[in-house]
Amino acid sequence: MNIIQTVGLTKCFGDFVANDSIDLSVEETEIKCIVGENGAGKSTLMNMLYGLLWPTSGQILIRNKEIKLKGPTDAIRHGIGMVHQHFKLVNSLTVYENVMLGVEVNKGRTPIIDQKEEIKKVAALIEQYGFQLNPTDKIEDISVGSRQRVEILKMLYRNVDILILDEPTAVLTPQEVDELMVNLKKLREQGKTIIVITHKLREVMELSDSVTVIKQGKVVGNLKTEDTSEGELAQLMVGRDVVLPAISERNTDISEKVLYEVKNLTTINESGKELIDRISFHVKEGEILGVAGVEGNGQSELVKVLTGLMESTAGTVFLKGKDLTNIWPKQLRKNGIGIIPEDRYGQGLCKDMSIADNCIAGQQDDKGFCRLGILNKKCICDRRDKYIKDYDIRIGNVQGNVSDLSGGNAQKIIVARELEANPQLLIACQPTRGVDIGSIEFIHKQLIMFRDQGKGVLLISSELSEILSLSDRIIVMFKGRLVGELSSKEVTKMQIGLLMAGISERGSSL
Amino acid sequence: MKVNKVKYLNGLINTVLPVFLAFLIGGIAILAIGENPLKTYWILMEKSLFTSKGLMNTLHYASPLILTGLAIAITFKANLYNMGVEGQMLLGGFFAGITGAYLTGMSPLVHKVICLAVGVLCGMLFALVPALLKVKCNVNEMVVTLMLNYAVLKVLEYLATGVFRDLGSGYVATPTIQESAMFNRFGASSLTMFFIIAIICLAIMYVVMKHSKLGYEITAIGKNTEFAEAAGMNVKRKIMIMMMISGALSGLAGAGYMMSEQFKFTLGFSGSPGLGWDGMLIALLGGHNPLGVLVASIFYAALKTGSDNINLYTNVPKEIVAMVQGLIILFLAVKFIKRRAS
Amino acid sequence: MDLLNHILYDTIYHSTPIILCVLGGMFAYKANVLNIALEGMMLSGAFFTALIVLLTESIALGIVAGISSSLILGLIFSFMGITKKGNVIIVGLAVNLFVPALIAFILQLMSTSNINLNMLDATAFKINIPIIKDIPLLGGMLSGHPPLTYLSFAAIALLSVLMYHTKFGIYVRVVGENEDAAKSLGIKSDLFKYAAVLIGSVCCALAGVNLSLERLALFTNDMTAGRGFIAIAAIYCGQGKPVASSMYAILFGVARALAINLSIYAGAASGLFDIIPYIVMVIVLAVVSALKYRNSKSRIIKLE
Repeated sequence: MNIIQTVGLTKCFGDFVANDSIDLSVEETEIKCIVGENGAGKSTLMNMLYGLLWPTSGQILIRNKEIKLKGPTDAIRHGIGMVHQHFKLVNSLTVYENVMLGVEVNKGRTPIIDQKEEIKKVAALIEQYGFQLNPTDKIEDISVGSRQRVEILKMLYRNVDILILDEPTAVLTPQEVDELMVNLKKLREQGKTIIVITHKLREVMELSDSVTVIKQGKVVGNLKTEDTSEGELAQLMVGRDVVLPAISERNTDISEKVLYEVKNLTTINESGKELIDRISFHVKEGEILGVAGVEGNGQSELVKVLTGLMESTAGTVFLKGKDLTNIWPKQLRKNGIGIIPEDRYGQGLCKDMSIADNCIAGQQDDKGFCRLGILNKKCICDRRDKYIKDYDIRIGNVQGNVSDLSGGNAQKIIVARELEANPQLLIACQPTRGVDIGSIEFIHKQLIMFRDQGKGVLLISSELSEILSLSDRIIVMFKGRLVGELSSKEVTKMQIGLLMAGISERGSSL
Repeated sequence: MKVNKVKYLNGLINTVLPVFLAFLIGGIAILAIGENPLKTYWILMEKSLFTSKGLMNTLHYASPLILTGLAIAITFKANLYNMGVEGQMLLGGFFAGITGAYLTGMSPLVHKVICLAVGVLCGMLFALVPALLKVKCNVNEMVVTLMLNYAVLKVLEYLATGVFRDLGSGYVATPTIQESAMFNRFGASSLTMFFIIAIICLAIMYVVMKHSKLGYEITAIGKNTEFAEAAGMNVKRKIMIMMMISGALSGLAGAGYMMSEQFKFTLGFSGSPGLGWDGMLIALLGGHNPLGVLVASIFYAALKTGSDNINLYTNVPKEIVAMVQGLIILFLAVKFIKRRAS
Repeated sequence: MDLLNHILYDTIYHSTPIILCVLGGMFAYKANVLNIALEGMMLSGAFFTALIVLLTESIALGIVAGISSSLILGLIFSFMGITKKGNVIIVGLAVNLFVPALIAFILQLMSTSNINLNMLDATAFKINIPIIKDIPLLGGMLSGHPPLTYLSFAAIALLSVLMYHTKFGIYVRVVGENEDAAKSLGIKSDLFKYAAVLIGSVCCALAGVNLSLERLALFTNDMTAGRGFIAIAAIYCGQGKPVASSMYAILFGVARALAINLSIYAGAASGLFDIIPYIVMVIVLAVVSALKYRNSKSRIIKLE
């Protein structure tokens, strides 16, 4: 029987149709995966099922009865719970306080909270589901995998029958992903229905009973998992044969000359704890060095230090023999380092400024754009037009702001800007996150072309497939340290997975 | 192009509507005490804008306001809340007055230049304090500048009643400045060279904000400091530069006001609520843009000079103007027509 | 000895209005709504209380009027800043500019520049606690204060409990720390922001009552003299924690007490003592901020 169903569910934001007449049905105690490209409309659909967004038209049915959801509390009342991709936890509060948020227990008739009682209840729940959690730990002190379990626990406490998870494996190591899949299957045994939004097709094949494919806001396929394959799903998602990235063919040899050398780089956080610990590596001319690792193991901090946004407490950085340790961003660019930052709207672009203004960011001192402190608007606009043409950037209004662009096109502006400055080394951090497949292919090609000119690329990514397909050598980060170095020709996913989880090749924990 | 026209129109409505609403509510208050709001408002505007002498007076009073408005605009654009413009202005005005009074035997041109320079310097140095604190210790500049305003006011009170007091005067004041330091009036109005100086500063700031690299950087910093830093704009250094420019403009405002209108420092030098706070209204009304600041200064100066006339011709207390001022800021805080979220 | 007694007494005396403002303002701080209109709310409370007492000779009515006026300001502030998503700093500024102007307007209409509550004897408000008042040193400090002073210190404890041990307090903090988390669980974040601001209104109104009614039975249009801003500084220094922020408020009380009592020795420079509290606050803020960020290696400055 269908536990939850949508009929003609539609959501419009102004003129933009995010979800177009979606018909979805989920059977009781099945695990269904919803797949689609970035921006296809999966999250919008789930937000409507959880009451965070109101449908423009269409119906939602629970056990064949129509319901109207005014907000998350309504959804929970109907037995629908959601675990978001970006956790909605309060860091300074404890596990039990987060689980009980909104449903606290008071001491008798007083408004004072009964902390002992709350801890007892949460501990009992943890025991029942076999999660490894300590109720009195503060969220800011526990691991990412544990935080996700707190999120799931929050929903289980509220007795949901349907659990929706939005891209749950984005922040987990391969081993933690396996653990999660085991937990989800256990929950199914206990009578829960699970809906998982993901774009990782391997996980879809391993976990789900049925799959729904969404493309550009419409349902393009409803299949039983056993009847389909990764390739078929990929084709449905993009509407054409996707060549899953293979290891890049090399046209040139890697030289032996070291381009970029980092030794013992260390930095600490506000409590004095090391965020990155004695990191040492080098990049040769004509080489792409991939830095693998689950997000949150120091990669962001490493990039911040290497791009001048954070100071190191120890260690050195050299580019072709020149000391670049702890210099500021302006100096870095002048010395030939290009940067594709991790958060394109945080560090790479200014959403509320025009496209032209963004095209010269980082280069506003250049004589071509600026003389005696005055900016040459015509040159800037010419440069913008050149980028649009050469990098196939799709723009509605050329005078508009960056906020009007899609993720992929915005990312291309950054790529264009950095590559056109002709740097020696490109630091590319999560270069294709949240980008549509067409732009991903384009950006990957650009990186390879850049490398083939004898330059170097430092690629940091949590998409393992990206690392494997582009890198010549791979290093792995775990808890702020470098835990392994592998050549891409010989490596297996299993090896990397273990290293990403902190287990050394000898089998002991790092 | 149509998109830009709509944006422009929205901006205009966003500015005019708050003013209209504020006057409306003020009008209700005037009605409540039995007076005629339209008559009151007409008197407010008529004498200050529609007679040539009145207009000159208005422009004269607008001069320091243009400068304090610019001082606030340049920092608010970068999301730096420099509330210390009032204090920086007072400091500049005070020491310009001292220099004007005690330095004798100078040629008029040299004397004026020195006094203005002293004012600018004082403003700059005083603004340096919160700037350094912000950059070195990441202190909230809003709270610090507010505290320092009160501190500087007390210090100047002390100096004016003590060391620098003019014993010949009946109330608390510093000695009147020398003739060589006073700005000469053009004709019968009170308009002076100071107005021209203010306009020149405005023109310079316009070029800086719209066409220079610094203006680009200030805008970027105001929208996203992380982006600005990553793009190589040394944000900390720019913050210092912005605060110092702001302080310089404030000090210049105080100095010029001293030399063209007050001629001595008294406890009511800055009026009520104060030229610095007026500057805040003007910057907000002008959308933190130099041209907007110009229009807003003239409008506001007209209100101020007009308010004295209200006292003469009606029974409405002149505080009605200050009330309307508060209401304008209140309504300006909200954008009535927002850009449609994409 | 006498001097010490006076200093101690004055410290408590002068800390009271600041503590009340601090306690009121910290909820808004925790809810991430920066309420700088504390000054205006306090002034409004002081004025309308005095006005209504003058007109009706009823203290109770006066206090009700004072609190009501402050609540109305709080509602306007919340509506413009929260519901309409205006810039709260500008809204707060507007309130602070509007209130004194409105008061001056009304005073002008009444053809007076102050409100003198001659029918009241301010000393009658002072409570002399029987046994305690005779304890040397402590007695002089603890006894002889008007009721609101005792209330304000009790409130430190009460409001601490409210903030850390009740649903309300938790929700306010959650809304301020991670509004998304609150919304995803159906907590109406706007409601709690409003509540946080309105608590501030009530407390600031009481501070105003303390200033005009209890102490001097008088109102002048600059009575508050920046105390609201000092409270904001104290909240920042104490990072919104009740006890810590109140300690900074008391620090201000100490400075003022010293300024008043030592001024007879200082002669002409007595005016300068008044700048001590402001300078102290700036230094404390600098030190607190410097310590907070001392280990941060990040080069990025946050501007609100």
